[in-house]
Amino acid sequence: MQRTSRANRFAFSATGGALAILFLFPLLWSGYASLRTSSGFGLENYDRLFTSDNGIRPHNVVNSLTVSALTVGGTLLVATLGGYAFGRFKFWGKEALFLVTLAILMVPYATILIALYVLLGWLGLQDSLIGLSLVLIMFQLPFSLFMMRNSFEAVPAELDESAQVDGCNSFSTLTRILLPAVRPGLITVGLFAFLTSWNEFFAPLILLNSTDKFTTTLAVVNMRTASHGSIDYAALEAGVVVMAVPCLILFAFMQRSYVRGFTSGALKG
Amino acid sequence: MISRKVQAAAAFSAVLLAAALGGCSKDTPAASSAAAVDDGAQLTLWTRAATEAVSKSYAEAYNKTHKNQVTVTAYPNEEYPAKLASAAGAKSLPDLFGSDVVFAAQYASQGLWQDVTDRFAASGVKDKVSPAHVRAGTWDGRNYAVPHTIDMSVMLYNKDLYAKAGLDPEKPPTTLKEFAEQARKVNKLGGDVHGTYFGGNCGGCVEFTFWPSVWGSGGNVIDDAGTTAKIDSKEMADVFALYRSLYDDGTAAPASKDEAGPTWLGALQSGKIGIAPGPSVWLGLIEEKGIKMGVAPITGLDGGDSTFVGGDAMGIGATSTKSAQAWDFLNWTMSEEAQVEVIAKNKGVPIRTDLASNKYSSADPRIVMINSLAAKGKTPYAKNFNASFNDPQSPWLQTVRGALFGDAATALSQGNTAITKSLQQS
Amino acid sequence: MSTVLERTKAPARERARTVGRRRRKGLVGALYAAPTAVMVGLFFVVPLLLVVWMSLHRWPLLAPPTLNVPDNYTKIGDNQLVGSAVWFTVKYTVLLTVLLFGLALGLALLVQRRRRGVGFFRTAFFLPMAVGFASASLLFLGLLSDEIGPINGFLRWLGVVDGYISWTSGSGTSALSSAMLLVLWRFAGFNMLILLTGLQAIPLEIYEAARIDGAGRWQIFRRVTLPLLRPTIALVLTMMTTGSLLAFDQFWILTRGGPDNTTTSLVMVIYREAFIKLDLGSAAAISVALLVALVVVNVVQLGVLRRRSS
Repeated sequence: MQRTSRANRFAFSATGGALAILFLFPLLWSGYASLRTSSGFGLENYDRLFTSDNGIRPHNVVNSLTVSALTVGGTLLVATLGGYAFGRFKFWGKEALFLVTLAILMVPYATILIALYVLLGWLGLQDSLIGLSLVLIMFQLPFSLFMMRNSFEAVPAELDESAQVDGCNSFSTLTRILLPAVRPGLITVGLFAFLTSWNEFFAPLILLNSTDKFTTTLAVVNMRTASHGSIDYAALEAGVVVMAVPCLILFAFMQRSYVRGFTSGALKG
Repeated sequence: MISRKVQAAAAFSAVLLAAALGGCSKDTPAASSAAAVDDGAQLTLWTRAATEAVSKSYAEAYNKTHKNQVTVTAYPNEEYPAKLASAAGAKSLPDLFGSDVVFAAQYASQGLWQDVTDRFAASGVKDKVSPAHVRAGTWDGRNYAVPHTIDMSVMLYNKDLYAKAGLDPEKPPTTLKEFAEQARKVNKLGGDVHGTYFGGNCGGCVEFTFWPSVWGSGGNVIDDAGTTAKIDSKEMADVFALYRSLYDDGTAAPASKDEAGPTWLGALQSGKIGIAPGPSVWLGLIEEKGIKMGVAPITGLDGGDSTFVGGDAMGIGATSTKSAQAWDFLNWTMSEEAQVEVIAKNKGVPIRTDLASNKYSSADPRIVMINSLAAKGKTPYAKNFNASFNDPQSPWLQTVRGALFGDAATALSQGNTAITKSLQQS
Repeated sequence: MSTVLERTKAPARERARTVGRRRRKGLVGALYAAPTAVMVGLFFVVPLLLVVWMSLHRWPLLAPPTLNVPDNYTKIGDNQLVGSAVWFTVKYTVLLTVLLFGLALGLALLVQRRRRGVGFFRTAFFLPMAVGFASASLLFLGLLSDEIGPINGFLRWLGVVDGYISWTSGSGTSALSSAMLLVLWRFAGFNMLILLTGLQAIPLEIYEAARIDGAGRWQIFRRVTLPLLRPTIALVLTMMTTGSLLAFDQFWILTRGGPDNTTTSLVMVIYREAFIKLDLGSAAAISVALLVALVVVNVVQLGVLRRRSS
């Protein structure tokens, strides 16, 4: 008995360890490759990434941050109000709206981008960071709304009832009593919105067309189509690291609440 | 405020243009500059990375001597057509944009450029500039774009490797068969040196470098109207067979098979390639790396010089409100001043045929040779050129892959059908 | 039930007030849902209708559209690239879904129980998710490249290969494998996490009971774990197939659809129709066809899974 369990533990550690190495290897390698230079290690590749003709410019980062901020803010606002409505109220068209929102998941994103591109042109939002953010918010909605509805439903109804007895209206109930209670859901929704908007490639590729609007992702991907006769792989890996670092930091901070939010929200429905 | 000023300027210039066309039968310089306005407008110009350096030197020189100011933005070559298309759909085209000359017909047919027929006719230089470029920017008899740069395909060879391999560095090949022999000789040097290199996974690279050999051998590629492919010819098959044998026996570097374009120049800059066809504008870029290069015409199998006259054409964006100012810039780029002091001075090929020999070209005999080639070369014309030949998913690239690495005979005959179909799509 | 009783008991005026309050509450709810409705209506329903409308027209970039129904649809059958892209996309979707599901389930089972090292393993498997998909594609472009990637050097050292090898464009099989490797690495941990939450929702008592009944490990897995995990499996499979049918980034960046169009996905064809051939009408028609196909696949898939589970 003792022996099998020890063998068992060893098998577990060996398999898990080997797999963990395989999964971590590409990440570690990109860090290594981005620091590796002809004369050892240094920041030369990062220097080229930020200074050569082809690479990241400060405005790319500003654009990415703008799009991310707008998307996270917009998603949180719309999904919180929507989740509150779906979790706490009955209203005409509720079921239909919920189903249509979830249908976004089933519809090929890429297929309506052509139409979105034309539509944004009509609205005067083509080649604009706001237009891009609105589209990204829409694509975040099914997941976020689902998550927030479940989060609100998980909060006991007695909480709002007692708040209403204390004279709170529905809005102050939401802001004072319910928001703190659904915080894990908010964090998950916000984190997901950030990850998607910060990393998104296809939507900006189609919806943005002047270089001063380009996001970091577009700038880094453009390095793949190098114009100086060779692909600068080392600078490219530096670009990958620059893109990944903010996400990894957020992950490290939020992993616990993220997982909790995910478990309590996404899979309950 | 600004837009009202621009509108006034545009209206004013329209009146002048009408006057110039109606009143004068002779195109005096005064009349042509009347159609152009230099009032301090800010003009945006888009170009592809390959042309960026030239567009920027034009803009710099223009900005120094004019009130209008041109700002150049460059896009990666491969992304550029798509970016133009999406900007057009968004009605946010720049005031000026250039295009690979072979794609110009498509943009002209789609109305992405403004009609400049009358202005161009009034400029007095229309019959002095590269006719292939003018034709490329023409649709239904109207002119939409003017020549911007010329880039031609030539044989580039490494003089040091030639000497090492026991070849005479001053005697480049005069037939394509000689090219193969010399490449094989250089390849014997061994190590990481290879005889030749080509873009075997790049439709644009292959058409630019292989077609001159087909033309030089007396064959053709597409008909004049640009609607029927003619690639199932003996000449085409022979040219492919020759390159195929170079790849099969290892004379061509193995990476040739996967070369999709981005690292093509880098391979030649490495100094490890004996001789390879490529763009003439790379001469300077390769020599920058301290490699001594020779230049020779691309030839047919048994001789016959030819070249692919490439480069860019440029026109005024259809949605631009500053067409008079934009035309002022375009008109200036075709002037003797710009062509000699910007293009020729930087070892470029002038777009003006009457300026092929100038005070700068005589300094480097290689440049004289390149300039002289223009008259022997061709520029194919087709509305659906990009989708048929250059795009990574084009039927031409399929054909190239088959002809070089697969079943050559079927590839060419099936490719001919597929390309014709693609050319004829409305 | 209780509200019905209350309502019958309440006097008429009281009842009117309740109805009024309920109506007001409904109005308030609708107000909170309004931003969602606007977003979904404007940026989802309208484009959905618009893409159908566009598919019935010749839709030039600048000039006004003209009706040309059904040309854009008949052209699809004529388009060889669509044929090969459909075949490739389906092949990729099936292969990837099987492998990714297998890997994710394996990982989930491995780290299912709390024991030493599990936290580290979970993080390790999940961490690739923090790298954006486009960045991950670029990461693999370098990793698999001959220029700076360690793979070729390692294989050469082992003596398995010699000379130059291009994984991402050498052959159709190696290009497809490269892209699949990338997707497995990036998404296995995410799917593992979802499956894990499903696994943990299964009460321990059920396992206990099965064990007391003398069931072996394999039997428990087949008769207890899988059936109870079915809703989660349905979710995971739907996300995988939808994601694979829409594949773009990995092929656009890693293989450029090559070599020889062997990795050209349907979304790449749509992009090409719109922005290379400048034919928005045709792009819209292919989009509509893909959309219909996807809805059918999802409905069938959910139907099968639901029937099996009931």
